[in-house]
Amino acid sequence: MEKTYEELLREVIALLAPLAPEGRTVGEETDFVADLEFDSLKVMGFVEKVEDRFDISVPLNLLPDIRTVRDFVVNLQRLLGER
Amino acid sequence: MEATPTEHNLPLRSGDFATLSEALDYAARGKTGANFYNGRGHLEAVLPYAQLRDEAVDVAARLTGLGLERGSRIALVAETCPDFLRFFYACQYAGMVPVPLPASIHLGGHKAYVAQLRRLLLNCRAEVAVAPELFLSFLREAAEGLALRFVGTPEQFREFPKSASRLVPSGPDELAYLQYTSGSTRFPRGVMITQKTVMSNLASIIRDGVKARPDDRSMSWLPFYHDMGLVGLVLSPMASQVSVDYLKTRDFGMRPRLWLSLISQNRATVSFGPPFGYELCVQRLRGEATGQFDLSSWRLAGVGAETIRAEPLLRFAEMLAPCGFDPKAFTACYGMAECSLAVSFARLDLGLTLDTVDPEILALEQHAVPVPASARFFRGRGKTFVNCGAPLPGYEVEVRRADGTVLPERHVGTLFVRGPSVMSGYFGEERLTRDVLSPEGWLNTGDLAYIADGDLVITGREKDLIIINGRNIWPQDLETIAESQPEVRTGDASAFSFTTDEGEDRAVLVIECRDPNPLRREELSHRIRSLIRQELGIDCFIELVPRNTLPRTTSGKLSRSGAKNDFLKRVQEGKTERPGSEDARRLGSIAG
Repeated sequence: MEKTYEELLREVIALLAPLAPEGRTVGEETDFVADLEFDSLKVMGFVEKVEDRFDISVPLNLLPDIRTVRDFVVNLQRLLGER
Repeated sequence: MEATPTEHNLPLRSGDFATLSEALDYAARGKTGANFYNGRGHLEAVLPYAQLRDEAVDVAARLTGLGLERGSRIALVAETCPDFLRFFYACQYAGMVPVPLPASIHLGGHKAYVAQLRRLLLNCRAEVAVAPELFLSFLREAAEGLALRFVGTPEQFREFPKSASRLVPSGPDELAYLQYTSGSTRFPRGVMITQKTVMSNLASIIRDGVKARPDDRSMSWLPFYHDMGLVGLVLSPMASQVSVDYLKTRDFGMRPRLWLSLISQNRATVSFGPPFGYELCVQRLRGEATGQFDLSSWRLAGVGAETIRAEPLLRFAEMLAPCGFDPKAFTACYGMAECSLAVSFARLDLGLTLDTVDPEILALEQHAVPVPASARFFRGRGKTFVNCGAPLPGYEVEVRRADGTVLPERHVGTLFVRGPSVMSGYFGEERLTRDVLSPEGWLNTGDLAYIADGDLVITGREKDLIIINGRNIWPQDLETIAESQPEVRTGDASAFSFTTDEGEDRAVLVIECRDPNPLRREELSHRIRSLIRQELGIDCFIELVPRNTLPRTTSGKLSRSGAKNDFLKRVQEGKTERPGSEDARRLGSIAG
């Protein structure tokens, strides 16, 4: 069964929550760099979690155009659909 | 699919070739080669040197067919993949100059990456630019409006017809490649390395540094566009005819354990990394069973590329001792792209050799006076440096004071080196070249060092350079980002590194800000931090200060060391928050 955008969003937010700076909540509009203060290492740590959780490979060239959690979930949904 | 073997019958030649193409011709007579693993640790591509040679010659014939001038620059986005090797060596056979371009992009960093590629294409005046499919759209965007003969993928390039004329490979005095220093992304410097130069360094690395054995096998996750990745782990295995296993840097960053599992699986003997790579393993393996690894084959665990701190390496050794990791395998080395790669290697099988000196005398007199091991009460009070070994044969080193006086042993000063693998200069940058390379061949390394019994001990960077997670960050890049904001004037920002209580380096940017409104100030520093993350992928500590706070020299130039001293004073007096290492700790705990 394919997951809906909302389901994926919930799962991604759950993966992100422990990575967020203290006191910051994660939502659809959260910006990885500006709000979550992700540097390249944290990005790798997060992508690893996503790859393991959804059993997919996230292509490196998607990253430069991803800013918000929504951008990420939209791409994730597409990747899962292509499987 | 089967990886190329470790065992083979080709008699070992230790890099004693006149050119890279000659070296590959010889390696192609054996059965060894390069193997590429994916992010799950599965073998994805096998490229024996014999096949690599044939395929490189094929591409070379097509390059020749373009009718380019000899020595034209061929820019290659250096993703860890077989095509990079094919095109790099094709240039060798065709008498062209390959220019590896970075294949590293950050979250939200689209614009910054394209701008960086464009600066490099312009700086090296590339005629041809090749990128794997994944990177093509960025490369195309970067090359827009530039007069390149070709921009495309390796597959597209192979549609060019082959020239029938005989190939004339690059000769000993021609350029072997152009290597952009891992330094400033804004002000690129392309190191020119001739065949003679790189072959001299390869022979020395293989014979005197690694002391290659016929049954060696290398493993690497280092980027192909960095000197250690390219010269140390691409060219050096080939020039010593040994097999090598590759993992993409990104896949290592995601799953550092793959480094160790591939070494275990393939019984690799030689692998290098910056201290940060070993540290990442320790952070991310926490809580994971290490029993799955067998690292007993790993005879040389090279450490270089940044000032080496011993503690994280010792933690790595301790954690992996049960898997057969031998701490004596640690081999510290020192080098830089301007010297092809290596200047010094620690002696093998000794592990890290530490030099503990009196911190007071060091700070006051720049004199590294050893603290005797018997002085137990000194424990924890001495300052410890890692010995990087003796200079490779043919290299001379001098430690000089600011006025040029050559200093005696154990006195700290700027390290100058002269030797057979020093670059010819920076491409198209005569002034920059003259700044660091004297007519007599002495290269100013910009590193601070002292010599102890003939061995090099690096104590830090002379000035300016900031090293975060093994990457060189140039302060002017950070300052330029700040100054590009409408609120900040040129010359009102100063960047430097700060060592936290945990011993980690962080980038600090002090900015003079005229706006007194706290909300707008907060927004400004937030914006600059974000831009820095997008462009450089690092976290930066930002301090906004009132006008006329930053110290200037008499000529009006900003003094970074002065700015740093003032900053340290403010931190000490509690006027500014002390930058910590929370980020790294958080990362460790998440991954653990």
